[in-house]
Amino acid sequence: MRIQVRRTGGFAGIERHAEVDTSGRADAPEWHALAERVLSAGRGAPPAGVPDGFSYEITVDGRAVYAADPRLTEDQRRLVSRVLKEGA
Amino acid sequence: MTTHGGFEPVFCTVVPPHVLDRLARNDDPALSGPARRTLVRDSELRARRRVTTEFSLAAAPAVKAPSDQPLRTIYDAGHGTELPGTEVRAEGRDPGQDATVNRAYSGLGATFDLFLKAYRRHSIDGDGLPLDATVHYDEGYNNAFWNGEQMVFGDGDGEIFVDFTNSIDVIGHELTHGVTQYTANLTYYGQPGALNESMSDVFGALIKQYSLGQTAAEADWLIGAGILAPDVTGTALRSMKAPGTAYDDDVLGKDPQPATMDDYVRTGRDNGGVHINSGIPNHAFYLAATALGGYAWEKAGLIWYDVLTGGELSPKAFFTDFAGLTVKAARERFGDGGDEFQAVEKAWEQVGVRIL
Repeated sequence: MRIQVRRTGGFAGIERHAEVDTSGRADAPEWHALAERVLSAGRGAPPAGVPDGFSYEITVDGRAVYAADPRLTEDQRRLVSRVLKEGA
Repeated sequence: MTTHGGFEPVFCTVVPPHVLDRLARNDDPALSGPARRTLVRDSELRARRRVTTEFSLAAAPAVKAPSDQPLRTIYDAGHGTELPGTEVRAEGRDPGQDATVNRAYSGLGATFDLFLKAYRRHSIDGDGLPLDATVHYDEGYNNAFWNGEQMVFGDGDGEIFVDFTNSIDVIGHELTHGVTQYTANLTYYGQPGALNESMSDVFGALIKQYSLGQTAAEADWLIGAGILAPDVTGTALRSMKAPGTAYDDDVLGKDPQPATMDDYVRTGRDNGGVHINSGIPNHAFYLAATALGGYAWEKAGLIWYDVLTGGELSPKAFFTDFAGLTVKAARERFGDGGDEFQAVEKAWEQVGVRIL
């Protein structure tokens, strides 16, 4: 499973992108469960954000969902921060 | 028994905080004592919510700041994401141990001061809106934002950014999003979005200059000079004087801001480049302000403020619409053919924005 996160906007307007490929990872089942929850609860179009808030595009095996600060679900927040931290 | 003894239980539920605050400073200890105790109670936040709800149900005004003072409340999210978090400093209370809280508190005060003293605007909504801010939002959070009701500040991750309260212009920037929301309400996308961002940078910079007593010539015209981590190669996040030159770093990349319409960036990202193309109106303001000299909030700032709040600026305004209104405002405020009118017109010409 390929999980990509693109974060745009923010006070600085600086974009960040990271990707995690779960194949061969020991914690793959955990990633899959989290990603599937995010996909099923996700929105297919970017929500209206707030001034200077981050916007997120989360893509799981080619399927994209969108979210924006400060209204992220716990799952979205966890997935986004893990991918941006651990991803390449 | 004192004549004021009966006040105490009432404070918990119905006395608005600004009244409590005034009472707490009363010379009569019988009045100030209970008010002070109430102000420091943990239940104060819940009491305020109840009061606010009751007032709005009764169609009476919500809690407001007194006529010439801010009504600030700083909250601590404790590195979580629940808003607003725990109240840590209310209006009139002494500084505590947390420098972030104290910076947020004084930054809100400086913002309130500029709008009141330079433009006779009473708080963000022009009607005494309480100013709320939450600090220590999330962990290593590299951002600050306005959520429509309050400001939110992250601590930064220490690698790219440090504490977002470090720059007073960042605090002013966030609060100005509130002013824009209550006035022209510029759509946060594309050119109107870049104008919205530029308003926040312009007044954020003016708040810093006002608090330091700097003239246009003395100011650095930088946004976010204090929030870049030490290892980042750059001086700030944006430069109104020279857009595109604020940073050039191997991790952060290069400052993407254009200074003129020749380099306008067409993109769908960042809400259509709101933090990128804001460089163009930012630079126009810098050019007008430095051409006029003196304190930038007195002339150029006043003209920009007139346009933002004057009622003619459309939520979907483009740069050229805004530019035209500033020229008109300069004429109305300072007279036809004056220095102000000419400086504003020339500034837009220099950044390549045509005035129709």
